[in-house]
Amino acid sequence: MKNVIEVHNLCHRYNGRSIYENLNFSVPEGSVCGLLGKNGQGKTTLVNILMGFLKPTSGTCLVLGENSHNLSPAVRHRVGLLHEGHLAYEFMTITQTEKFFRGCYPGWKSEVFFHLMDKMGLPHNHRVGNMSCGQRSQVVLGVIMAQSPDLLILDDYSMGLDAGYRRLFLDVLHDFAAQGNKTIFVTSHIVQDLEQLVDTIIFLDKGEIMQVGLDQFMRTFRKYVFQCERDASLPKDEVIRGFEQRGRQVALYSYEDMEAVDRHLASLGIQAHQLCRAPMSLEDGFIGLMGKY
Amino acid sequence: MWRSILLKEWLKIRWFLAAALIVNLGFIIKIFVDIRSILSAEHAQMVWYQAVHLHTVFHHDMRYVPLLTGLTLAAAQFFPEILGRRMRIALHLPMARDGMMFFCLAFGLGVVGAIFLVDALFIHLTMRAYFPFEVAVSAVMTALPWFLAGVWGYLGAVAVLLETAWPRRVFFFLVFSVLIAMLYSGVGYGWLTPALPWLGALLLPAFLCVFESARRFQRGGA
Repeated sequence: MKNVIEVHNLCHRYNGRSIYENLNFSVPEGSVCGLLGKNGQGKTTLVNILMGFLKPTSGTCLVLGENSHNLSPAVRHRVGLLHEGHLAYEFMTITQTEKFFRGCYPGWKSEVFFHLMDKMGLPHNHRVGNMSCGQRSQVVLGVIMAQSPDLLILDDYSMGLDAGYRRLFLDVLHDFAAQGNKTIFVTSHIVQDLEQLVDTIIFLDKGEIMQVGLDQFMRTFRKYVFQCERDASLPKDEVIRGFEQRGRQVALYSYEDMEAVDRHLASLGIQAHQLCRAPMSLEDGFIGLMGKY
Repeated sequence: MWRSILLKEWLKIRWFLAAALIVNLGFIIKIFVDIRSILSAEHAQMVWYQAVHLHTVFHHDMRYVPLLTGLTLAAAQFFPEILGRRMRIALHLPMARDGMMFFCLAFGLGVVGAIFLVDALFIHLTMRAYFPFEVAVSAVMTALPWFLAGVWGYLGAVAVLLETAWPRRVFFFLVFSVLIAMLYSGVGYGWLTPALPWLGALLLPAFLCVFESARRFQRGGA
């Protein structure tokens, strides 16, 4: 299977600060890949590099086989891009937006665009600038879906959206991914939404990356809970990848099985009462692996 | 695809274009009324003396109108693009960046030029109604630096708006301000006419400078 996105030895510095050092990953065709990272870890910067809006300090980024900082119009035609903040032309109405983009994309599907617009129940002469954040996001979603791209890049699509609009995005993206040979590269700060969408996760933390299948991560990374009589200042090590404490209740995250965790806690002098494995959501796993702050 | 670009540009500037046309026509009417009232108040020989010997420029009041027009239309066209960095939408279109910029600038300059053409035509007709052909031509030639200031203002404003780095913004602002100030530094009829071809030729590097600003806008994280 060929890769739609390939990143090799990517380094980027901003104002002397290193954002990435030797970043390597690839996104295969037909996959739905979620890029996760805490605020300020460079998710949007990575999307900007992938779309040619930022030239990396060094390294190579290939998007559909072309260098990302010199994408040809033919490749841009195949990439649907949702900018952070649901950028849209606010001076246009729904009709004008459709007319504008229809002229730019020969394979434009008007029916797809208007199908999504009609769900809003707004007249087609309604200005985008007078819409709510959710309605504007729906216009942008309609635009990128009507382009019928091969690759979708969504930069924090969930920003400012309520549960209904987020669910709409998920529904539409599911249908898009189900068409086959369509690839989605998505960032979102609502991690639990991605759990319903992605098949691969890329964790971005302090300029380093970890790419893993969603199923594999949810199977191998584990959440344990126990009661602790005192403040448990746990060290992060090979066994304890992260922990949270609320009162006496401690949640501990590890790739190890429960016996190994129990032994490790005992070796640290911590009495873990009622240690047991707990159900873990992707958001739990994200916090367990990346930490809260 | 260029039709889509032109549609977008038209939607952005249409109301500003209407306002600019009203202001420009308003000043032309004012010049017409002023000349009529001068002619009715003073003896024709006196008016002739003012025009030919004292070099009184009767359409002097509209000298800053073209500059204001250029600046307004540049802001109308490009301010929505830099607001929230919306130009990223256009930069992602399946179209070469320079081609897209060319259409945007050609549209803006075309509109600015059309307004100035109307201004020049009405100035000529107004002056021709009361003065000999040579004076009417000279009046238009006198207004040409003002129109050039409008075009410089348009290109300068676009370059400044698209620049991402403040030092470059300030540099462009100063360069274009000096050039524009030079166009207003003389008095009398046709004082800058001999230098106009050279000043006009400078429009080409200014035009190219905007393309460079757009390139930096894209490469700089847009």
